[in-house]
Amino acid sequence: MSNAICKSLRSPVRNLASLKKAISTSLVHNETILVRNNEEFINKVMNNDKPVIVNFHAEWCEPCKILTPQLKQLIEPLTDLDLAVVDVEDNADLVHTFEVKAVPAVIAIKNGLIVDKFIGLVETDMITCLINRMSGKKKEGT
Amino acid sequence: MAPVGTYDYDLAVIGGGSGGLACAKEAVNLGAKVTVLDYVTPSPQGTKWGLGGTCVNVGCIPKKLMHQAALLGESIHEAVAYGWEVPSLDAIKINWPALTEAVQNHIKSVNWVTRVDLREKKIDYVNGLGEFKDPHTLIATLKNGSKKEITAKNIVIAVGGRPHYPDIPGAVEYCISSDDIFSLGHPPGKTLVVGAGYIGLECAGFLNSLGYPATVLVRSVPLRGFDQQMAQAVTSEMEQKGVVFHNKCVPLSVEKLETGQLKARWQNTETQERGEDVFDTVLMATGRYALTKTLNLEAAGVTCVSNSGKIIAETEQTNVSNIYAVGDVLEGKPELTPVAIHAGRLLARRMFAGATQPMDYDNVATTVFTPLEYGCVGLSEETALARHGADKVEVYHAFYKPTEFFIPQRNIRNCYLKAVALREAPQRILGLHFVGPVAGEVIQGFAAAVKCGITMEQLMNTVGIHPTVAEEFTRLNITKRSGKDPNPASCCS
Repeated sequence: MSNAICKSLRSPVRNLASLKKAISTSLVHNETILVRNNEEFINKVMNNDKPVIVNFHAEWCEPCKILTPQLKQLIEPLTDLDLAVVDVEDNADLVHTFEVKAVPAVIAIKNGLIVDKFIGLVETDMITCLINRMSGKKKEGT
Repeated sequence: MAPVGTYDYDLAVIGGGSGGLACAKEAVNLGAKVTVLDYVTPSPQGTKWGLGGTCVNVGCIPKKLMHQAALLGESIHEAVAYGWEVPSLDAIKINWPALTEAVQNHIKSVNWVTRVDLREKKIDYVNGLGEFKDPHTLIATLKNGSKKEITAKNIVIAVGGRPHYPDIPGAVEYCISSDDIFSLGHPPGKTLVVGAGYIGLECAGFLNSLGYPATVLVRSVPLRGFDQQMAQAVTSEMEQKGVVFHNKCVPLSVEKLETGQLKARWQNTETQERGEDVFDTVLMATGRYALTKTLNLEAAGVTCVSNSGKIIAETEQTNVSNIYAVGDVLEGKPELTPVAIHAGRLLARRMFAGATQPMDYDNVATTVFTPLEYGCVGLSEETALARHGADKVEVYHAFYKPTEFFIPQRNIRNCYLKAVALREAPQRILGLHFVGPVAGEVIQGFAAAVKCGITMEQLMNTVGIHPTVAEEFTRLNITKRSGKDPNPASCCS
């Protein structure tokens, strides 16, 4: 049942534990940035050399529990793109600054500027498209 | 110190529930500078919740969701009669943690959207318990104990109420209330519900349908204040579904057994006979009291308080001209979310837009979400008879058979409706009452009609939508006075 899977993402502590697991199993994986306050956001996202996909997430949001792991899976293996997860309950200022009115919300940031945004759980194609654009990959075919 | 006449805010609202938030948001729309204080004192069992008030957190919203869960459970069984191949009906059972998690997740999303909305509208939200220092000054005590002083030109008291616990041994220590049931950390099991108001009946109703045997202690009558004939139909249906009722009984004590279960004792006030039984959960639904005690109203000079602690304010204004009250805290007004919201908005308009429209508390429709729902608007039959006299009142009534009930052979005995009207032509309708499925949806439109002064002539000349249960109102033609059989002959004629 999806609820059993979602329970493992419930606490931030478990989040960090699962991140640790990701790091120890493969050295080429990028760790997901877990934003806990404004300072961390400025340092690790706005001032990041690499483009960053910022995922606004909430534990009580079912679609978030599908999207966030999906983003982690797609972005962690990449070396030229980072993923930052912002829990909306802990980061009221950021929610206000980026006018996030619904979750999940994904904002793409490059050199401190917003270059793209989508709200809600969108099709996998749209996500991979966004990731490819941000990481400078040219999409094959279309 | 601020010079006289300059306040931190144009409006300070104590209570971030239905009434408080509606008033605050309307005030901000009209250009006022507003702050909202909200604080939830944990229940005796330790339950607390976020911004939004009773309705969002421990009232209407979770109640309706659990009622829906219960109805869906019944639907699965009915589906079989319609041809659905449901593998092993016996294996169909409710997963309580899954239900409460889904309900709580929804509530948390509403808490969040509420907070974002307040921030968006630049309403300052203070998570603190407010009390008066003087007519224009409030002191908010935050969770960490620190205090914040706030001055405001106008203050609205919208603190609502909380469940009342009877003064018997074991009540506070071992019993839960509606504050706790919607987030209960373990399945409730066999439950005793003390109280037969709408909260008690709705809880007993959905618990029973979810598979948790329910017993109800009724002190006097079920749904006191509501039309008693309709209340009987509601409780008959619940009994038929397996809910046990002990009438004219009051609780004596609740003790915890070694097994962890609770032994409840009660007494019949008429026969003096005593009864007892063992339950997994005892839920107190014995009324709610207004949260005015901690406000220190004396410091503000507010004296219009009733014996029950509610605020007497006919036009929502207290005896202190800049202090108002809205919502459940008001004496003698329907304790309903839409009432609080509407009154809150009108109040804000009178405060900041020079409006004069008062709140109309008459003919407010409501619905009791028991397994078979009861929706009504206007006067009960008893009230109409008392007010106008039997001679001047005509009651049209009918039993009906919802089309969808035939195939699964659902009980139709309690599907009943009536219109209470003035006897003299054109027979203006005083009250409409409906027991049946989706009663709330059925009655809502008629509430607008009653507000327009609909008459029996107009109702009988309205063509119904077929096949629905709502159309039964348009088919009413038998009066109680005639003595004719109100049972339906057949449909479509």
